[in-house]
Amino acid sequence: MSRQSLAAVLARHRTKPPNILQALLEIQGALGAVSVRAVPEIAKALDVTEADVAGVLSYYPELRPAQPGRHLIRVCLGESCMANHGAKVLARVRAHLKIEVGETTRDGRFTLAPIYCVGNCAVGPSLMVDGDVIGRVNPDQVPALLDSYT
Amino acid sequence: MTRLYLSNDTSARAAGAERLAQAWAHAPGVELVRTSSRGAFFLEPLVERDGPDGRPDSRIVWPNVKAEDLPNILAGIGGTPIGRIAFLAEQQRVTFANFGITGPLSLDDYRAHGGWQGLERARSLSPEAVIDELKTSKLRGRGGAAFPVWTKWQVAKDAAADQKYVVANADEGDAGTYCDRMIMEGEPFRLIEGMLICAKAIGATRGFIYCRQEYPAAARTLREAIAAAEQAGWLTHERERFHLEVFVGAGSYVCGEETALLESLEGRRGVVRAKPPYPALSGLYGKPTIVSNVLTFATVPSILARGGRWHASLGTEGSRGTMALQVGGRVKQPGLVEIPFGATLAEVIERFGGGMASGARFKAVQVGGPLGSLFPASRLDIPICYDAFSQAGAILGHGGIVVYDDETDMVELARHFMAFTADESCGKCTPCRIGSVRSREILEQLQSGHSRPGDLDLLADLSETMKAASLCALGQRAPYPVLTAIEHFGSEFRK
Ligand SMILES: Cc1cc2nc3c(=O)[nH]c(=O)nc-3n(C[C@H](O)[C@H](O)[C@H](O)COP(=O)(O)O)c2cc1C
Ligand code: FES
Repeated sequence: MSRQSLAAVLARHRTKPPNILQALLEIQGALGAVSVRAVPEIAKALDVTEADVAGVLSYYPELRPAQPGRHLIRVCLGESCMANHGAKVLARVRAHLKIEVGETTRDGRFTLAPIYCVGNCAVGPSLMVDGDVIGRVNPDQVPALLDSYT
Repeated sequence: MTRLYLSNDTSARAAGAERLAQAWAHAPGVELVRTSSRGAFFLEPLVERDGPDGRPDSRIVWPNVKAEDLPNILAGIGGTPIGRIAFLAEQQRVTFANFGITGPLSLDDYRAHGGWQGLERARSLSPEAVIDELKTSKLRGRGGAAFPVWTKWQVAKDAAADQKYVVANADEGDAGTYCDRMIMEGEPFRLIEGMLICAKAIGATRGFIYCRQEYPAAARTLREAIAAAEQAGWLTHERERFHLEVFVGAGSYVCGEETALLESLEGRRGVVRAKPPYPALSGLYGKPTIVSNVLTFATVPSILARGGRWHASLGTEGSRGTMALQVGGRVKQPGLVEIPFGATLAEVIERFGGGMASGARFKAVQVGGPLGSLFPASRLDIPICYDAFSQAGAILGHGGIVVYDDETDMVELARHFMAFTADESCGKCTPCRIGSVRSREILEQLQSGHSRPGDLDLLADLSETMKAASLCALGQRAPYPVLTAIEHFGSEFRK
């Protein structure tokens, strides 16, 4: 994590009262992750305790302490996608990438995470790759779909 | 030039609208206009052309289009008049009346289709008269708890404070629901208008839209819409400016609960606060705050424009107006259905959902998201309204209707629900924090064939404790999908 840019993001956040979640989301947006090692510096800049920052960082599923792979594959496990047998999509993704949910492929290409509904229920089962929603996913298309990301 | 309309909604894009837009970007003689979506998602990508008289309700449509269909569309071959699409024609659209017709960020379109009339009326009335209109309308919140909207507004209006807030709950956490997303992406000005009416009624000068991070397109569209409305002067009234901002969450389901949402908006862990005090008195930064669902705010403009009495004339005794139902799962025609309260669950699944998808056989339907109940085929005669659902111990929630087929393994589904609750519990109260983990473990043991006698009784006991003693509806209601699965499909749990 580049200290320069952490400082730059934090400089924008001298607002009163400090908003820890918003600051962490901005840091993650700029740097890709929020390292636990950065907690003291963030706490100091926001004028809150380290426990406050660490508490928020560990609470939210979307705040990541480590850099994810180049592509974030999120398989929908919401009810509507479950009803449309999205579990089979997840099984194919795991098999093709040879990783479990929460893991990153060894080449750093993909991180696999679950997501509970992307609001695409009527066009499910759904996947979200980076910011894009992909609908009506057929498990048999999964290998070709994943291979299209470099 | 032939003008073709194509939706820009996330689900329309996921269904192929974006591929069409790319393929046709430079097609000669084609003017492509991106709109909101009709919500007939089983027909997406849906391409529309102006009909003979140019009115939106006489458009000609082509469903499930592929790029190579363009010549036929341009030649007018094979289209269907929109009025003959029964899924749409049989609905009674109010809040979603303009969907599929207008451009999401076009202020001209919004104005031309009735936009801002509710706000203009509200600004000509006293705050008390605006609240009276809502009282007459009998509007209840659409976020899940179905609380009368006017009472919250009255409390916030009567509270003396130097600052008040209006917060739109755009966390839309119930899986199987997407009407808030459609509003934010498709007609963001309607949400903004509803929030401005609320601000006028209670005397608020700041507002936030708390949008879940799973909806990047919604957040983007909202920010553009706020900027456009601001520039056109809609956010300023009698020299008082309403500051409106979008705040994006970070993937926590419980942050949809209003007090957890406020904690999160203040930048802390999204942990539930004990109530009272209610947010209407002491909400964001301890100030009077109206937290309401996106669909609730989006329903307000037509109530002001057409009158509370008109709204109260629709629906059933305890549930007035229309409800946006989101029909999904293994039905033939998944999509958004806006109809007055009162139709039965069977009617909605058959008439609008079109029955089961080809080859699938009905097993159960879940209504109300992760905190809702499962209904077997024998219970589909229940009318869709708050009273009938609460009498049945169920909830309508945010209007999600998810149909499961007979391949669904109920034990696995029950385990899935409890794993979700265990993951999402904010941890503040013990019944929810411990109860959900223990319940998940029991279901896992059952699944692996290592259950002990009395396990299901233990599960029932845990559920009773969660229902009775949890701090918020997450713990109080999370046992329902599991208990109704056991009630109706017990043999699968007793193998
Ligand atoms: C666990 C939990 C999750 C909730 N999620 C949402 C949500 O995603 N969206 C929403 O509008 N309300 C949600 N609610 C309901 C809110 O607490 C609150 O009742 C609602 O925002 C009030 O708006 P309304 O009066 O317009 O319904 C949730 C409640 C609980 C207990
Ligand atoms: S349940 Fe998967 S997109 Fe809604």
